[in-house]
Amino acid sequence: MTAVLERNTTLEGEFATEPYEVAWAVEARWFVQILSAEPAPDAGGGNGSNGSTAGPGLRLVTQVSPDGITWCDVDDAERVAAGAGLTSWPVREFGHWLRVRGYVEGAGAKVKVRIYLAVKG
Amino acid sequence: MNTGTSNNTRDELREAIIAADPRLSRFRPLPRILSHDEFNSGTHGWCELIGNYDGNGNLDTVDDHMRDFRPPQLSACNFFDIGTHGAMSGTYSLKLATRPITGHTAVGIRRLTMSGRGRVQLEAYLAFKTEATLGNDPALNTFGGVAWDGNLHPSEAQFGAFTMATDICGDGGLRYHTVARYQNTDLDNRLARQWVYPAVPEPTPREHFQGKVKLQYGADFTAPNPEDWHPFGEPQELCYNEVPTKVNWHYVRWQLDTEKRRNIELQVNDRIMDMSEVPVPPYEEGYDSLENLLNFYFSVRTHAPVRNFLYIDSVLISVDW
Repeated sequence: MTAVLERNTTLEGEFATEPYEVAWAVEARWFVQILSAEPAPDAGGGNGSNGSTAGPGLRLVTQVSPDGITWCDVDDAERVAAGAGLTSWPVREFGHWLRVRGYVEGAGAKVKVRIYLAVKG
Repeated sequence: MNTGTSNNTRDELREAIIAADPRLSRFRPLPRILSHDEFNSGTHGWCELIGNYDGNGNLDTVDDHMRDFRPPQLSACNFFDIGTHGAMSGTYSLKLATRPITGHTAVGIRRLTMSGRGRVQLEAYLAFKTEATLGNDPALNTFGGVAWDGNLHPSEAQFGAFTMATDICGDGGLRYHTVARYQNTDLDNRLARQWVYPAVPEPTPREHFQGKVKLQYGADFTAPNPEDWHPFGEPQELCYNEVPTKVNWHYVRWQLDTEKRRNIELQVNDRIMDMSEVPVPPYEEGYDSLENLLNFYFSVRTHAPVRNFLYIDSVLISVDW
């Protein structure tokens, strides 16, 4: 199954996707697609706050939960997405709920995304 | 058709076969079963509804109020207090879940077409719940006039409404909806427990494209004006069962007539409500590309900043044509 958890959503600052139940699945894969980005107002020249020309970075961490209410990071891995395009990573041995948390680097920076969760049993 | 068997014998044989099948005997199908969906084995084509988009696939062109109806989930009803609750049929049910945003709606839709006209029946086993709230705040013990007393739980007043509806089109583009909504609470979060119907057709993306209507995120997409909703039947208390983590499955059986383009009746557990006088307003203008459309949807709408869930164990759609 593929769930579109965020659809053309503009993210700013910290965020977390809605809880999604995956008790039936044994593996999952995130797809985070950056559609467009606005740099922080003080970044200047269209550069992201990370100094690159790819626009503001999006930092992403997979989270798990036993009940859909209380969450923790699944591991220490932090994914970084920047610039238009797709970023993907797998996750296994999760609890029965998944979400992704993260933040947009730079105060006032915005990133428009689609976030897919592909799961299979 | 002459099969050499009397109608009585044929009907009795059919009833006996259905009664002998535990998966079917919980239903009362019309003669022809179009679909039988037990969500323990997948989503069976029930998917997220989305509004229409332009030729570039630009989802920014989707109407604001129709772009975030949320993907259905296969839920084991995993809860903080007991772990896995499970479904009525096996472990998994289909869960529609809102965001915790007042007015937000989640919608699961199934898309069929018609090979005839006549009676159509939707049967389902479903349950409605809110997300549990965890914390140390005494204020969480009261909501919408409901105070926790060891029996009643404030979460019951945090559930807004669930809706069953169709989207039907045929006979030269004549399009209409039949709709039945259980209004658990009014928009002020007071328990209402009333079945209601809308007296107007649902606003469509074409009407937005034509500049006739523009709705905001969180608008009630079925009928945005609360004054367009009217009661039918008497108030009905369902089995919420006290707390957000006890799931009791309700039987619903809803019948309509696509020959007459009318509602017939709605059964919810032990109550049968006559819907024959509930109006079915068609769109004034015809629609292309939808000939013989036969869509069904369930939706759930929260009236509070709390996630609302509609769990559906199984659905059976049958017809007499």
